[in-house]
Amino acid sequence: MSEQYKLQKMKTLKINKLILLLIGLVVFNGCVEDDDFDTPNTSIVEPNISETAKVQISSLAGELAQEQGNGALDYTDEETTFSYAFNENDLFMEGYVVSSDEGGNFFEEIIIQDNFENPTIGIKLLIDVNPLFVRYEPGRKIYVKLNGLSVGITNGVLTLGALNGNEVDKIPSAVEGDVIFRSADIQTLVPMPVDFADFTDDKTNLFLQLQDVQFNRNIVGDNALTYASEPSDEFDGERTLESCAASASVIFSTSTFADFKGLTLPSGRGSMNVILTKDFFGEVFNVVINTPEDINLDSTDRCDPDFLECTDPSGGGSAIFEEDFEGFGTYASEGWDNINISGTDTDWFISSFSGNFYSRISAFSSGNSEADVWLVTPAINMDGTTGEELSFDVQANFDNGTNLSVWVSTDYAGDPTTATWSILDATIPVGPASTFGNFETVGPINISCVDGDMVVGFFYEGSDPSATTRYHVDNVVVTGN
Amino acid sequence: MKKSFLLFLFGIAFSLISFAQQTIVKGSVLDGTTGEPIPDVTITIEETGQTLKTDARGEFSFTQNVPLGEQVLKIEKVGYVTKRYPIIVNEGQTVDISGMTLDFDTSDKKDLYIISISDDNLNSEDDGITDNISGLLQASRDVFLSAAAFDFSATFFRPRGLDNANGKVLINGVEMNKQFNGRPQWGNWGGLNDVQRNQEFSMGMSANDYNFGDLAGTNNIMMRASKYRRGGRISYASANRSYQGRVMASYSSGLLEGGWSYSVLGSRRFGEEGFRDGTLYDANSFFVAVEKQINDKHSLNFTGIYAQNRRGRSTAITEEVFRLKGREYNPFWGIQNGEQRNSRIREIEEPILMLNHYWDISPKIKLNTNVAYQFGEIANTRIDNGGTRLVTINGEDAYLGGARNPDPTYYQNLPSFFLQDANPTAYDYQQAFLAEQDFINDGQWDWNALYEGNATLRAQGGNSLYALQADVVKDQQWTFNSILDAELADNIRLNAAVNYRTLKSENFARVEDLLGGTGYLDVDFFAEEDDNSTISDEVAANLAQSDVRNPNRIAGEGDRYKYNYEMNADVVSAFAQAQFKYNKIDFYLGANMSQTTYQRNGLYENGFFQGGGNDGSFGESDQLDFSNFGVKGGFTYKVTGKHLIDVNASYFTKAPPIRTSFSNARQSNAKVIGLESEKIQSVDASYIFRSPIVKARVTGFYTGFQDGSDIGFYFTEDLAGLGIDSGDAFVQEILTNIERRHVGVEVGIEAQVTPTIKLKGAASVGQYTFQNNPNLYLTSVDFLNRSDIEPEVTFGDGTTQLDGYHVAGGPERAFQIGFEYRDPDFWNIGITSNFFSNAYIDVSNLARSANFTSDFDGNTFNDYDPDEARELLKQEQFDDYMLINIIGGKSWKINDYFVGFFATINNVLDEDYITGGFEQSRLANFRRVQEDQSRDNGPVFGPRYFFGNGTTYYLNVYVRF
Repeated sequence: MSEQYKLQKMKTLKINKLILLLIGLVVFNGCVEDDDFDTPNTSIVEPNISETAKVQISSLAGELAQEQGNGALDYTDEETTFSYAFNENDLFMEGYVVSSDEGGNFFEEIIIQDNFENPTIGIKLLIDVNPLFVRYEPGRKIYVKLNGLSVGITNGVLTLGALNGNEVDKIPSAVEGDVIFRSADIQTLVPMPVDFADFTDDKTNLFLQLQDVQFNRNIVGDNALTYASEPSDEFDGERTLESCAASASVIFSTSTFADFKGLTLPSGRGSMNVILTKDFFGEVFNVVINTPEDINLDSTDRCDPDFLECTDPSGGGSAIFEEDFEGFGTYASEGWDNINISGTDTDWFISSFSGNFYSRISAFSSGNSEADVWLVTPAINMDGTTGEELSFDVQANFDNGTNLSVWVSTDYAGDPTTATWSILDATIPVGPASTFGNFETVGPINISCVDGDMVVGFFYEGSDPSATTRYHVDNVVVTGN
Repeated sequence: MKKSFLLFLFGIAFSLISFAQQTIVKGSVLDGTTGEPIPDVTITIEETGQTLKTDARGEFSFTQNVPLGEQVLKIEKVGYVTKRYPIIVNEGQTVDISGMTLDFDTSDKKDLYIISISDDNLNSEDDGITDNISGLLQASRDVFLSAAAFDFSATFFRPRGLDNANGKVLINGVEMNKQFNGRPQWGNWGGLNDVQRNQEFSMGMSANDYNFGDLAGTNNIMMRASKYRRGGRISYASANRSYQGRVMASYSSGLLEGGWSYSVLGSRRFGEEGFRDGTLYDANSFFVAVEKQINDKHSLNFTGIYAQNRRGRSTAITEEVFRLKGREYNPFWGIQNGEQRNSRIREIEEPILMLNHYWDISPKIKLNTNVAYQFGEIANTRIDNGGTRLVTINGEDAYLGGARNPDPTYYQNLPSFFLQDANPTAYDYQQAFLAEQDFINDGQWDWNALYEGNATLRAQGGNSLYALQADVVKDQQWTFNSILDAELADNIRLNAAVNYRTLKSENFARVEDLLGGTGYLDVDFFAEEDDNSTISDEVAANLAQSDVRNPNRIAGEGDRYKYNYEMNADVVSAFAQAQFKYNKIDFYLGANMSQTTYQRNGLYENGFFQGGGNDGSFGESDQLDFSNFGVKGGFTYKVTGKHLIDVNASYFTKAPPIRTSFSNARQSNAKVIGLESEKIQSVDASYIFRSPIVKARVTGFYTGFQDGSDIGFYFTEDLAGLGIDSGDAFVQEILTNIERRHVGVEVGIEAQVTPTIKLKGAASVGQYTFQNNPNLYLTSVDFLNRSDIEPEVTFGDGTTQLDGYHVAGGPERAFQIGFEYRDPDFWNIGITSNFFSNAYIDVSNLARSANFTSDFDGNTFNDYDPDEARELLKQEQFDDYMLINIIGGKSWKINDYFVGFFATINNVLDEDYITGGFEQSRLANFRRVQEDQSRDNGPVFGPRYFFGNGTTYYLNVYVRF
């Protein structure tokens, strides 16, 4: 018995050794990759590009201009392109990235300018890659290998990409690594200050600073709009940005895919850093931001006009003037004035839809870069009543910025340029960009402090193609007690 | 054969000298190699079907109703080669055949199924398509079921069309099916092959000693220390399917002095990749069981299992991707620092501890009481590409960042995307060509780009844009049960059990790796307020928050984020069953009752579902209660010893699993509307034939399911009919009131034509179809807070037109012919030819709803053509295929050691075949599906397929002592 037990014990010991050996094997067997991976080296190696192979953006513009047959670039010529040959003679365009798709306001494009400060020219690089900000952040110097790429004008700005038919299109994502090379050089971009009046084609694709600006009073404040998440916003939200220094405005455009599209437009006054570009049709200057952090409208001291401010109580009265344009004769026959003070042919006229008549105006396709037009009511006597209010309906259509304002005058004598006008605090509705809007009632506005014979003037400040919003005005009513 | 003839003579000799009046057949069984007695061997007198099990000394004795004349005794135990002994029984005499031997089954087929299961678990997305039932069947000696377990398992074949969740797996009588989805998590006891040889399988709903069972059967794995034969085994396996290597060592003490016994095992499975690229395998398993026989009546066993495994996953791919990259292709991995790294790792670490008490109250009454505790987590990783940076302007928050899906198979990276227009331009072809070349030459995950992106942002003070996210399920489950086994009379047996299970399951996402970044902003990048919103600004401002109570939190590595909730589940059940055995007929009756409750407890207050209650996300949800019952019965009628009729019938109800009980558990407390317990009726009838040479079974089966439920998650572009902006939404799709019918015939036949050659054949022909149009509704955060649509969206009459479609899940028809040669000189070889057909794709439910016909205004498309629609919606049937498998092995005895090897080659002809697949619901209306399917250069959102393995091998060498 004990002999057998000993044998068994010996065997067990032997077995235990074997098991120990195997467990050892198991523990030390490291042939499977574990989950502790080292961070790969992500530092940038400066690409080895000879000085002679480097090309400036201006050179690309020059090649295109020559191809167009012009001394200077024609930014309206979207037909002509210039292509760089595939050969051993490698060429690299150099420049600094100024755009960022981090906020989703740029998509599959990189805006590049020739220097990080005091730039002279910029270009838009189209590439089918998203996201781009993870490699090509603002301030990063990059080189773009030009062999096989084409340069042309798309959407009104200088563009570099791959040729698709006769237009410049996105570079396929598969060749990103063969086309774009990052430099280790990264700079803090210095935005170039510029006035609205100095917007020119050759300043597109540049990182600019707009000083002393504010958003139009109709889109901030109590009924403030968001950057681009209004029901009427399609593709882009277009907002009117005004200069306080000069009576000028520009369209501030934000993509409906932007991460910040739902933020409320800031109501203050100040400066912002933007990239100057054009609208989809390449016709109108637009300014676009990378991130809302580029906006610094901190001052609450807005530069709005001095509105007529009546403080007496108003309302509750009956109509002392009323015009719904139904059965309306002509403006002249009904005592209204319709005057284009720019001397161009854009005018107000009576129009109708579904049996409803109204006054209508638009500078769209008029070719009139100046189209300032007054529509003035007959005189309304305000002496016999108190607590007067004005209201009217406005339908804004194909909106590309608010360019209608409402004024009153008591010394109007037939010439709007010589009358004394007081602007009313009327919030003109903002309509959809690409279709018809709905009539919305504006007011009632307290005009109880106006006495004597008053006229109301609807002033349209049109300019084709940048300020062409089509307005319908209806149901102009003045009430009093 | 010679040995059994000798025994035969012995038997006669013993019977001659017996003076007993009773007719008795008794004997004992010994291990053919160690000479030790084997307990728990099943002894059957084939004529009458009487069975007994050997006791601890390996002895047995039939004393009642012993049939006279020439009889055959069948001696079988899992892990051993079955033997049949002819005996002659004379009235009033005792046949004593002591010293019968059983040889250890060295064929190691079980290793095979373990590999198959591993593969399937590897891919499983809880979609019900990819799970495999074969593991359940491995203990079965039925010809058909072993074909299903060993040869049909390489594809998605499922006996009777049943899902894993329709079978029960027990360890020492404790149910192991997960409450989350009802399925056993095989990984929890993977790599323990040597100690899982003691298995008891009962087919279908037939009588089972431990529980009520389920349609696909019950498999109880006995992992009790005293039940292991003394000895050890060391083995090494090499394969190219899932793991590349496995080392395993085990030792069991057998019964030692003082009533102790123990068993230990350690194993490691490893591999850089399996058949599919980049599917790493890294698993370590440990097992210990210790048992103390306290006295004659009491024995106490402890079993501990720690099976940890980490695997790289692969996925279903489209036809286009298959064409470009082949079936080995796996998009989930990429090179990092020169090494393969898989972005989708599944890591399972859920140890099981149990105490089992065995009490022999009397020789005829046994009570087994168990306490089990399982804890740990399952984590699945994926790349998160929604990292953002918080920008606060005038008190309003915006989240800047996010990136496109960096998956190399993302549809915008593939040639079909560029060639989707009717007349592609030269530029389109250029893009397609470049994309194709890029995909063929690389087509893998670009880890460097992710690190580079995060590094760029980090340099600017930003958060990680990309992170490695783990979806974690952290469970703690206690199980208590008592199982009674009482012989009320010689021919009447009562089985009963009471069970209580309580589960606390924490579910959350965890930042596993910031990929070089410093933190991840825990907001939902895709959250945005809709134009038709009906909510206040304050509520809207918080939509993006994962946890409103802790907004804009930066999560670091190891932190929970995105979602965080507990699921509590309790199940109380009781089961009773009586089995009666008579000369001509055996029958049983069983019944079951249970009470199940589920409750979600939100630990985060999600921005979309603020507040508590059923509409909110924080705190406790409504409690879901299900009362269930079941009855079953069946009989075996012995026409003669050779011909048997076996019939089983059952009706039972089953609580839905947790998975289909809450519509969007990650974000809200909302319970599934219209959720019911599933009702199941099942009947099967078999004719069984057994002669000394031929064993055969033919079974017809029918199962009806009503009130089933299912849930799916996907992104769709085609909800324009709802007026949702551009029709895009990430949705939860909830199906309820699902009726299915599974009918068919299965056949198994085996002929031992010579003592060394066995021929076998198996076939299954079934039809598994939907029998009604289930209810379908969608939920999505995109439907919330809107004036124009309800949060639960239905289409038309609220159903999806599935009636008549096939339930996806493997071939409905499978056929096998094979032969085995077992040489007396301890080597064997087998070959099987397996043919599969009638496998169907998993169809898009949304495309079968009224949404399919709805234009953006809710009206039917004006160009809708019912004939063409029928063609578009026709269920794809996959091609037939044939797989040839070869199996062989040899063993030697060297002194006290047995050395052997065992090898298989599967799919010898390297057949290309599709095992399963599913339609994408991304496109789900007539015009879009028609457009996509008719593209000249292939669909952009075509179905995704699982491709079968090519030729693979498995080789195992072992030493046993």
